[in-house]
Amino acid sequence: MSVASSLGGQAGGGEVAGGLMGRAAPETSSVATSTTAGPELVQLLTPEGERVSHPDYALDLTAEDYRSLYRDLVLVRRVDVEATALQRQGELGIWAALLGQEAAQVGSGRALLPGDYAFPTYREHGVAYCKGVDPLKLLGLFRGVSHAGWDPHDHNFGLYSIVIGSQTLHATGYAMGIQKDGTEDAVIAYFGDGATSQGDVNEAFVFATVFNAPVVFFCQNNQWAISEPLERQTRIPLYQRARGFGFPGVRVDGNDVLAVLAVTRAALRNAREGNGPTFIEAFTYRMGAHTTSDDPTRYRLASDLETWKLKDPLERMKAYLVRSGMADAAFFAGVEVDADALAAHVRKGCIEMPDPDPLSIFDGVYAEPTALLAEERARFAAYLSSFADGPQADADSAAATAGGR
Amino acid sequence: MPNYKQFLLPDLGEGLTEGEILKWLVAPGDAVTLNQPIVEVETAKAAVEVPSPYAGVVTAVHHSEGETVDVGAPIITFDTDPGDTAGGPAAAAGGTPAAAGITSPAAGITPPAATSAPAEVIPAALVANPPVDAAVEPGLIGGPAPGGRTSVLVGYGPKSSTAVRRPRKPSPEPPEPTQRQPMRIAGTAVGQSARVAAGAVAVLAKPPVRKLARDLGIDLTTLSATGRNGTISREDVERAAALLATAGLATAAAPRLQSAPTAPDGPVGVADPPSSRAGGVVASAFDPATREQRLPIKGVRKATAAAMVASAFTAPHVTEWVQADVTGTLKAVRTLRRLPDFAEVKVSPLLLVAKAVLVAVRRHPMINASWDEAAQEIVVKDYVNLGIAAATPRGLVVPNIKDAGRLTLPDLATLLAELTATAKSGRTQPADMRGGTITITNVGVFGVDTGTPILNPGESAILAFGAIRKLPWVYKGKVRPRMVTNLGVSFDHRLVDGQLGSQFLADVARILVDPMRTLVAWT
Amino acid sequence: MAPTTLAKAVNMGLRKAMESDPKVLVMGEDVGKLGGVFRVTDGLQKDFGEARVIDTPLAESGIVGTAIGLALRGYRPVCEIQFDGFVYPAYDQIVSQLAKMHYRSQGTTPLPVTIRIPFGGGIGAVEHHSESPEAYFAHTAGLKVVACSNPVDAYFMIRQAVVADDPVIFFEPKRRYWEKAELDESATPPPLHSATVVRPGDDLTVLAYGPMVRTALEAAAAAADEGRSLEVIDLRTLSPLDLVPVLESVRRTGRCVVVHEAPVFLGMGSELAARITEACFYSLEAPVLRVGGFDTPYPPSRLEEAYLPDLDRVLDAVDHAFAF
Repeated sequence: MSVASSLGGQAGGGEVAGGLMGRAAPETSSVATSTTAGPELVQLLTPEGERVSHPDYALDLTAEDYRSLYRDLVLVRRVDVEATALQRQGELGIWAALLGQEAAQVGSGRALLPGDYAFPTYREHGVAYCKGVDPLKLLGLFRGVSHAGWDPHDHNFGLYSIVIGSQTLHATGYAMGIQKDGTEDAVIAYFGDGATSQGDVNEAFVFATVFNAPVVFFCQNNQWAISEPLERQTRIPLYQRARGFGFPGVRVDGNDVLAVLAVTRAALRNAREGNGPTFIEAFTYRMGAHTTSDDPTRYRLASDLETWKLKDPLERMKAYLVRSGMADAAFFAGVEVDADALAAHVRKGCIEMPDPDPLSIFDGVYAEPTALLAEERARFAAYLSSFADGPQADADSAAATAGGR
Repeated sequence: MPNYKQFLLPDLGEGLTEGEILKWLVAPGDAVTLNQPIVEVETAKAAVEVPSPYAGVVTAVHHSEGETVDVGAPIITFDTDPGDTAGGPAAAAGGTPAAAGITSPAAGITPPAATSAPAEVIPAALVANPPVDAAVEPGLIGGPAPGGRTSVLVGYGPKSSTAVRRPRKPSPEPPEPTQRQPMRIAGTAVGQSARVAAGAVAVLAKPPVRKLARDLGIDLTTLSATGRNGTISREDVERAAALLATAGLATAAAPRLQSAPTAPDGPVGVADPPSSRAGGVVASAFDPATREQRLPIKGVRKATAAAMVASAFTAPHVTEWVQADVTGTLKAVRTLRRLPDFAEVKVSPLLLVAKAVLVAVRRHPMINASWDEAAQEIVVKDYVNLGIAAATPRGLVVPNIKDAGRLTLPDLATLLAELTATAKSGRTQPADMRGGTITITNVGVFGVDTGTPILNPGESAILAFGAIRKLPWVYKGKVRPRMVTNLGVSFDHRLVDGQLGSQFLADVARILVDPMRTLVAWT
Repeated sequence: MAPTTLAKAVNMGLRKAMESDPKVLVMGEDVGKLGGVFRVTDGLQKDFGEARVIDTPLAESGIVGTAIGLALRGYRPVCEIQFDGFVYPAYDQIVSQLAKMHYRSQGTTPLPVTIRIPFGGGIGAVEHHSESPEAYFAHTAGLKVVACSNPVDAYFMIRQAVVADDPVIFFEPKRRYWEKAELDESATPPPLHSATVVRPGDDLTVLAYGPMVRTALEAAAAAADEGRSLEVIDLRTLSPLDLVPVLESVRRTGRCVVVHEAPVFLGMGSELAARITEACFYSLEAPVLRVGGFDTPYPPSRLEEAYLPDLDRVLDAVDHAFAF
């Protein structure tokens, strides 16, 4: 699979026209333009499932690749739907659904090499999947049994960041570390449209450009920050913000998994080759609520939703696969079977997750534990075992009974 | 075989407590698949569709549309193993009878369409006490949890709590307040001063008790603790105060015990019955009619009185006083405490007073003598058995430090501390109280300045050491606040004349004014 | 006079404040169209307009910083920080700017900004939504810090906070948002910076604020069954503290337990223990004891019941106080 080679070198400072953007950015944008796709949207697969080309981004995939991408989209959605149902049934305290954003996450996630490090927000379940993280590990956080269920170093997938935007600075610093190591790894930092207003994110742009760090800033512009629309965060299309900081920005159809894949690969390669950061704005839509306790009908129109349903990322891929003859009914049935199996695995695993031991509250506060904390833990343990109806009491009485024989 | 499972309304968003049933999407009798939406609920934050947690047949819905339901309340019951009871000719052929209370098809009759709701037929017990699935482990949703709670949902919501305490295991003794050992941080013991560890008599008492003791002029170090956790109780202090009052010790008069020579096993060593320990004064024991209490004269009290009379009316007592600026003594005390030699001993002003007396005695040996009427001789002694009057639970005792004049200062301090501790715990032995040659009575601990002490029988001088107060004093030509005390000496005028007594007293005072220089010059 | 929830009471108080003074603004994330993630600002934008009820960009530092600017221009902004754990980006603006402006300007520039923060745990939430950061603010001179515990206080205290000329950090106990009480809007409230004895007693004084007031009251009810009479005081104001009823109580009872969700180490309990010990030394039959969260980060929600002080932990401390 090759990537279009229009990666013009970026001169130090000065204009960034050319290179990734292919043509000069428009002078100004009205508020209306910031929220509509506009002519600058990179697309390789139309909502109707028609394969198109883009001068700057070629994508050469095999039939197996296309099928594999579709399968990932389906599985990612299936897990998301299952988790949403689990929350409604009280098995999870909360779930941040990625419904509608599957292509943005699978497309970018599949562009990553194993050595690349991803810094997520709290909604990147699709990227986690691509990186090889078991979905059950994500559920532990939302079920409330652990703060993070996985070791970031296992799959180079960072811990979920619920504080908005802080991970972009971490990503930049990590990229600076890669620079010092001199390897060809790259970093991708995920964040949403709302996050671009946070100071941390803008500081990350400054640091990344000043130090020419190998980081891709991947913004999933799903148009909403809870109830606040994009206009509340910016007066200019987000991808054009990068220009002000001095690095290239590109807007891609976030519901087009092929375009996202192509653009992300290009940006990662740019980073690997020492050309610094890129801003990718994946233009997509949050089809579900912000989280399961949110009610979108309070602030957005059902008609918006209908418009975006027509741009569904899965439907267009399916249509393309069918029309091109690259997939048959057996394949689609097989994908559904796999999806059901994965969903069942997630459901079973979730329900069977044991509650953590109360004393584990004290685990891992420090790398080098302190005596004061040990004393506190001991006092709490004594307190817990002082109750007549606790598990310790049961153990005591069981022991007593056994000894009495 | 029917397997009934209730579904309780979960917290649908970050701590909500109730929800309104907007619309039922299923009805009793409907077959339902897993995740199929069954009801629309409106909460304070959103309207949500709730998907079914079970596959099975709806047995009953427990609330009507429009009702508001608390989070955690059962809203619907399913039969997840309906078997042959639901629909079909197979049922007619004699299917498994349904659980009691469910309208079950009579054999051979197909059950009616699903719209009829047998909700009211569900036994009340089923709804009120959701059948906790025994297969669910404690802690998982639906399983039992301590305190009679049921784990309902992950988000909990703000739990409704009760004013009910979890039962504790019976413990052998009440929870002991640990006087917490300070934590060791990086090798240093935080909060532990070396002096406290150095054998000093540390008194334990609560703040209100300490204040009471101070107000009543009681030295806590002289009391035994009977309070909880080894502390001196309020009662201990009150008892001591009463003892002082009835023994006439609230003034400067110094009581002392009959010395042993005439009565070797006299009342001194005898353990007195507890009632006399506290002076016998019990607040509730006053005769209501006369409002008087009668205490027998016996034991320690009796001996003390006899000795006092003998001394007072045999030896002509003269008392002189001097007021001295003892700021230098306090400074010396601080200096000494810092010296390695004194690291393990208690250094107090009393120690330096004792030293001053010993040095002054060496300069005026005649003060350390006694009048032997029987032999018609004055006995001058080369040794000083220095007596220290001490208030104890049993009364005032005057044990003495043998040959104190030959002791080094650290040794003197050690023996002084031991003497005090022994006296405070009531263990002073008769031998300790025999053979004293000169005595110090520390009335300062009671907050008193001075007085006219009565001689310990067999001795010719007794020094009263008063309270040290900050007073205006002319120091180096200016009026300054200085630490000032009063020293008073009573002497036996038969063998100690005015000049001797005055010089002795003046020397003691001079030493205490400038201990460092005088002790260098005079020893 | 229908029973009103705490969230609704704040809503009513804000409404009243906005009706009384056209300079009062409400600003924060999702406060306008959505009415707030807890619906505390529900309906305000509809009635007062977008110029006065502002959906801000997603930036806490920006919210507080621009509120300072608005206050300089003569407005009375009421900021909402969506959750306690998200106040930290704004901490610099609050501590370096908001708190110090009056002092630096020698009194010429008061900043009547109110910052509302839902705080505390007990709602089974993910990270950063259950913090108790009040000590960081109470420790900062120039700020006033209060915490309501019930709907009646919520209604009056928010109004009092808005009209105060000093910056007020207004903590709302989110786990109590849906608890109800009868609210009489015509009643005369106590002063903002006053503590209230919410349950009289003789044997021991319990001090609490915010979400723990209810816990303390439940503990007192259980203690009564055991023959112990606990006096419960709702502190209400954390800076300045109102110690008058507290000291009077401890001098009478001789024992005191302080309860808060925040970790014990350097929490509000530490300051109270020090001051009470100093002022009531001769009355104390036991040291002042503190019950609070453990000195760890807030745990996953399945562990929060073990972490948060509850009735049993409060009564355990009471038992210890009586063991002295």
